[in-house]
Order: sequence, then C-alpha cells, then structure tokens
Amino acid sequence: MKQILLITDGCSNVGESPVLAAGYAFREGITVNVIGVVDEGTIGELGSREIGDIAKAGGGLSRIVGTAQLARTVQMLTRQTVVQTIQQAVNKEVHKILGNSSLAQLPPQQRSEMVQVVDELSETSPLRIALLIDASASMKPKLAAVEDAVRDLALSLEARAGRSEIAVFHFPGRSGGEDAQLDLDFTDHIAQVRSLFSRLKMRGATPTGPAIFKVIEAFQGSIALDEPRALLTGKKHGDQEGMIGGYVV
Amino acid sequence: MGMSFNPPYPAGTVIKGKWRGNRYIVQRMLGKGANGTVYLVQREGRREQYALKIGNDTLELQSEINMLTSLQSCKMRSEHRSRRGAGLSSYMLESDDFGDTGNIPFYVMRYVEGRPLHHFLAKRGASWLGLIGMKLLEELNKLHRCGFVFGDLKPENVMVSDYGDAELIDYGGASPIGRSVKQFTEWHDRGFWNAGSRVGDESYDLFSFAVLCLRLLNESGLKAAAGQLPQTRNADELLKLARSLPDKKLGSWLCIALKGGFSGSAQAAEIWKQQIYSRRQQRLETIATPAWLKGAFALSLFVLVFTLYWVFFN
Repeated sequence: MKQILLITDGCSNVGESPVLAAGYAFREGITVNVIGVVDEGTIGELGSREIGDIAKAGGGLSRIVGTAQLARTVQMLTRQTVVQTIQQAVNKEVHKILGNSSLAQLPPQQRSEMVQVVDELSETSPLRIALLIDASASMKPKLAAVEDAVRDLALSLEARAGRSEIAVFHFPGRSGGEDAQLDLDFTDHIAQVRSLFSRLKMRGATPTGPAIFKVIEAFQGSIALDEPRALLTGKKHGDQEGMIGGYVV
Repeated sequence: MGMSFNPPYPAGTVIKGKWRGNRYIVQRMLGKGANGTVYLVQREGRREQYALKIGNDTLELQSEINMLTSLQSCKMRSEHRSRRGAGLSSYMLESDDFGDTGNIPFYVMRYVEGRPLHHFLAKRGASWLGLIGMKLLEELNKLHRCGFVFGDLKPENVMVSDYGDAELIDYGGASPIGRSVKQFTEWHDRGFWNAGSRVGDESYDLFSFAVLCLRLLNESGLKAAAGQLPQTRNADELLKLARSLPDKKLGSWLCIALKGGFSGSAQAAEIWKQQIYSRRQQRLETIATPAWLKGAFALSLFVLVFTLYWVFFN
C-alpha cells in the first residue's frame, strides 16, 4: 500500500493544480490523504474546497482540524486508509465470487471471516507512506504540532506487525527552485523522523501541485515494494494462507 | 468520524434482526462511542433490559463482534474448566442486522447499570478505588488470559454500579496481544508519554490503568504534565505524580505499573490485592469514632453514674 499524507494550511498558489496531481497519484496506486490545519480563523472556502478535492481525486480522506487534534487525526486517517484500501481489494473479490453483494450484505458467518481477513491484512501488509509537509511561511506557528503528529504516527507505524516505511518531504524546496525537498528517503527506521524537524526551514509560497508530482516520482523511483498480494506467498500462518489467497486480487 | 449521519433512534423504535428474528424495543440512547451508538433496549415479550450497539461502519463493528465472539468462547471454556457454571457477565448475547435493506449491523450485550468511574468517585470518594481497582485488574487479567488487550482504558469506559461493582464497557479498542493497539486516548497511551511502544501487551493496559488512577486522584497534576512539549514529555513526570500521592503504597504500585515492572496483570492484581485492597479492609476497623458517638457514650456514662448514685444513696 502506498499513501501520501499532505499536511497544509491553505490554498496552493504556484504551478499545476494539486487536484490534478492527486489524480495522477491515485492512478499510480497511491492514495492521497489531506489534513488542513487551522488555528485562528478559518481556512477559507477556497482552501477547504481544495483540500476536499485533492483527497477525492487522490482516493483518500480529508479533515480540517486545529493543532490540538492534529496528532490524533494523522494517526486515524492513516489507519482508516489502510483498512479502506484492503477492504476495496477484498470487496472486489467478493463481487467476483458472489455477484452483486457487498460486505454489508453477506450473511454473518461469511462476513465475520471476511473481516478477519481484512483485519489481518491491514495489520500485516507492507505500507509505504510519504509525508508531504507544507512549510510555507504561514505554517510556521503550527510546526510544533506537525512535529508532534509525525512522532505520534511513527509510534503507530512501529507497532504494526507488517513492514512500514516512511519518507518525509516539505515544500517549497530550497531557493524556491525545487518543488519539494526530500528530508528523509523511504526507510523502515521510522525513528529517524524524530530528529528531522530541526532542519525544516519555513518560507515562501505554496506549490502544492508540483510538490505532489515530486512525491509520485519518488515512489516510482525507488524499488517497488511488496504489495498486499505478496503476502500470499509469504511465510506466515500456514493454514490461513488459502483463505487469504482466495479473497485478494 | 461520520457520526453525524446517524441521528439517534427515538424511543419505541423496533429493531428487528434479519437473520435471527429477535425484536428489540429502543428505550433510550445510552451513549455514543468512537465507532457506534449504544441504546438501552428491551427484548419484545421479555422484561430484561439489554444494551444494543449499532455501528457506524460495518467493517469496524464486525471486527468488534469477531473479537467479542472469541472472548466469549474463551470465557466459556475457562468456566467449563473451573466448573463454576454460568458466569454472571457475558461479553455478547447476539449479533444481527436490521433495517429495510437489512444492512445495519448491531449486537446485543448485557446492560450495566451505573455511572462512569470518574463520576462515581467524585460522588462517593477516593476510598472506593481499592475495591474498584481490584475488580478492574481482575477483568483485565481475564481478557489477557484470552489473548487480548483492552487498549482504550479510561474512566469513561468503566461503569460502576451503586454498590461499587465495576465493569469494562466498550471493547471497540481491544486488539490481540502482540498487534498494534487500535484505539487509544492520549493521556492513557504509553506512546504519548514516550514510555514505550504502542504494541498491545499486558503492560500497555497496566500503564493505562495507572494513568487512570492518577487522573482520578490528581487530575490537575496530570493535566500539567501532559501539557509539556512532546519532546520533554516523559513517564518521569507521571512517576513524580504517583510518588506525591498521600497513599504511599498506592504510589509505589503505580510507579511499578508505569515503568512496566509487573510480569503481567496476574502479578499486578495480586500485589494490588495484598497492598491496597486488603489494607483498606483493615483500616475499616481502626476507623475514627464519630464525635456524636463519643458524646452519647459520655452521656450514658453520666446517666449510669447518676442512676447508681440515686439508687444507693436514696
């Protein structure tokens, strides 16, 4: 599973449309979640619409929250998206086997087994998540909360049974020339994100769209990781294998 | 979390199970949790009241039902082994779907009448903590022996009857031991205090239990400690709070739990029993004599002396 988590506080104002960029990401199999952080005032109608649209185009979820709820929201969105991605894959299989019925319409026993599979895969499937942090000037007072949220996410990722990798980008990049700057390349040493924030410099405009494109490139550039289906050939749970294999594409 | 699109069902609504056919009549809403709404219901044609939970999300509720089902069968196995017959509490009575399209999942559990732990202690006093804590630790141990952690342990998830009988409610955050904790609350979370991982193990629940005690006994102190910068926030602050409690034995029990020093909930419960629960019982005997009783005793002595005087000298 691949996810981008965009944390921003307003409208993009430079370069390609971030909604278009998110559409590209989704087509490439990367889900885009967006969190808008606001403390004083509101994010504006334009900003909140853009946040919703990026998530819709990116097949993900969006929330607009204050700094106090940021950590909880980051953690929750990431988890929900993992479950949702697995569930979509499982639902597709259900359609194939049982025709037009969804999870909710299955008889209790079958549903119970299906959900066991979803739970198992959500916990054990490899996950790669790229954090894309808006570091424009207006985000400066919120950086401490973002840092807290990222630490918190790191804890939850470390607790997963499956392999988790994290990468961190911020935008705009150095000298305004770069769209997004890579702060930490994909690593399963999740703890590394904790020492990252002293290096973040906040300035400039909000090129959200170009930044998302940059992250898509990073996903493609690095060696492709095992997708959920790779689990089927894995070593765990000998007798459950058949069941899992049966349900997932 | 999409709770807004589920307006509560009014009293009198009939919830009819699609698969098992039982009918439940809604009496009132008991509360809204992270992943569903709980109603007080009566089964049609019967007197008993039950709690019925309707989920916001099929998958999440089914996941909860799966967990309760395996808890239930674990419990039945252990009761069978100890030949104690039917236990009073049961995690779940039945699960089913309802609605015109039969797509709204629900499950029915025992109704625990009472009030949340923090309200109970605020009203009845902290001296109840020894007894209630004992019951909670036993409940946690039962859960751990079945291979699960509770996860989201906090006063809001503990219901206490008028007589101090405590029950855990809302098992939505429970997860298998060794897996990541599904649902937690900042203050009660070991990770929040930089005091360990978020992998569900017995000490995770014991840590939350210790924070629960601190919150009940010194909420302002806990709030101040939680308000620190995330980088500097650590369990030492909690240890300080525990040591500053007037009850030293409780304080040192909490310190061990916060440091993950117990081998498991069985040992934690055992030491709680010896050091905190039993001591309370002993203290009852040495309780101070009320002033009115002293007065009454003095008066009766005086009357006795006066009577004797009157009898012998008249």
